[in-house]
Amino acid sequence: MNAQVPKPFEEIVGYLEGKKKIVLMGCGGCATVFHTGGIKEVNEMAEKLAKQGKEITGKIGLPFAVFACYLPMSSMLLNEHKKEIQECDAILMQSCGDGAQAVRRYLEEEMGIVKPLYPANNALGFSSGGPTSFKEECQACGECELGKTFGICPFVQCPKGLLNGPCGGTTADGKCEVDPTRDCAWAMIYRRAEELSQVDKLLEIVAPHQWSKAVRPRRLEVEPIDLMEELKGTKRVIEQLGV
Amino acid sequence: MTMKAGTNLEKVLESGAFAVTAEAGPAKGAVTSVIERKGEMLKPCCDAVNVTDNQSAVVRMSSWSSCVLLKRLGLDPVMQIVVRDRNRLAIQSDVLGAVAMGIQNILCLSGDHQAIGNHPDAKGVYDIDSIQLIQMLKGMRDEKKFQCGEEISGEVPIFIGAAANPFAAPFEYRVLRLAKKVKAGADFIQTQAIFDVAKFAKWMEMVRDRGLDKQTHILAGLVPIKSVGMARYMKDYVSGVYVPDEVVTRLEGAKNAKEEGIKICLETIEQLKEIQGVHGIHIMAVAWEEMVPHIVEQAKLLPRPVV
Repeated sequence: MNAQVPKPFEEIVGYLEGKKKIVLMGCGGCATVFHTGGIKEVNEMAEKLAKQGKEITGKIGLPFAVFACYLPMSSMLLNEHKKEIQECDAILMQSCGDGAQAVRRYLEEEMGIVKPLYPANNALGFSSGGPTSFKEECQACGECELGKTFGICPFVQCPKGLLNGPCGGTTADGKCEVDPTRDCAWAMIYRRAEELSQVDKLLEIVAPHQWSKAVRPRRLEVEPIDLMEELKGTKRVIEQLGV
Repeated sequence: MTMKAGTNLEKVLESGAFAVTAEAGPAKGAVTSVIERKGEMLKPCCDAVNVTDNQSAVVRMSSWSSCVLLKRLGLDPVMQIVVRDRNRLAIQSDVLGAVAMGIQNILCLSGDHQAIGNHPDAKGVYDIDSIQLIQMLKGMRDEKKFQCGEEISGEVPIFIGAAANPFAAPFEYRVLRLAKKVKAGADFIQTQAIFDVAKFAKWMEMVRDRGLDKQTHILAGLVPIKSVGMARYMKDYVSGVYVPDEVVTRLEGAKNAKEEGIKICLETIEQLKEIQGVHGIHIMAVAWEEMVPHIVEQAKLLPRPVV
């Protein structure tokens, strides 16, 4: 998921200075999980902005699992709210930067609407876990090295991103020199190698990483999925699990 | 025997003599006199002198240019390279330049993280790690190829060094890590400062069990302690250094902490000489370089061999 936190309200008010009619849009994905843009947060934002004298002309709350960044889903709602969007002075996106930019792009390229669009959140990037604690574990480098590092990514867990073992700064109790409250990434990797009886694998030299795979911006073309069929499948699995 | 680089350090180590090297921190400015003064002092008592590369992530004159200044004085410099500040292009380019200037001992390090230095907002590079650096230098020397595989015109004769910390966790892993560095191409090893000789001896036993002392030259690291405050500071704040409580207590109880610090250093050297597989010592007298000639003399390691 893309972890995120809300921006300070004053910053948002600053963006909206001189703008009267505001359309709010949230996201039913990560922003719902992180309480930064679920339907509840969109309603709360509407109330707070109304107190600032703003006229909230549109509230586009996305139900859970409807992603702002996934246009086959979010575009349905954008088209539904076309009139409010056309008439507003600004759009406030309660999503990550991906959702915000996907919406901006769709409005411009597919709907021919050019409006000021502002972010309400600061995205922190990939993270995993939940429902309460989340940890950053993958940086989407484009060339996964987990197969050589016992399933723990040293690019994320080690501040130096060392691929071939720990630096000399590990403390005697296996903590990181940069943040002694954290375990050394390689102490964790070594522990797993021991548990899997594969310590000798650590003798293999991992070649320099292909950073060319991370040159931005990256683009990808894929075959579209059948959205309705996939959703039916999800429903079926949940029912089978008896949740 | 054919030499890899033919530096004084390589010749001394290959001759089987007990080598002595020391560290010299470069100036925090553009004056040449700082490193030159240290060089003059260390020249008669060391086989080679290491110049740190922005140690503790604090900016100083580059290791590269300081090594050139030492070379002009007739010393055999060891250039340190950390992977924190330069990517594979910059490092290879610097190595070619260094060899062109007669600097042929190169020590490969990860480097202290920028967060603990004087430019904590800097972006760390870490394009490659220290082991990949060793392997890259070996490729440049033995295959005459850049990391990308392209041919280098002419020879790149270098004597490749690496560091080892026998005291950092996980202890058992540290020998494996040394084995990996040797496999990558480390011709010599400098260890972290040794205060716990028993633990170091245990590590050396594991090193010998893997036959690593026969494949690389191990220089045991030493830091002479100047004061009780320095001992406490190193114990608590210098990453990678392990100062046992006994050392601190002993300095606290001494009438003259400086003399006691030198005494501890000399006792350690005597014990290190007895450990099989130790090929020499590397003295890191932080801001106390003037004591190195005295230490080497008292340790009966003078005169240095002429090879």
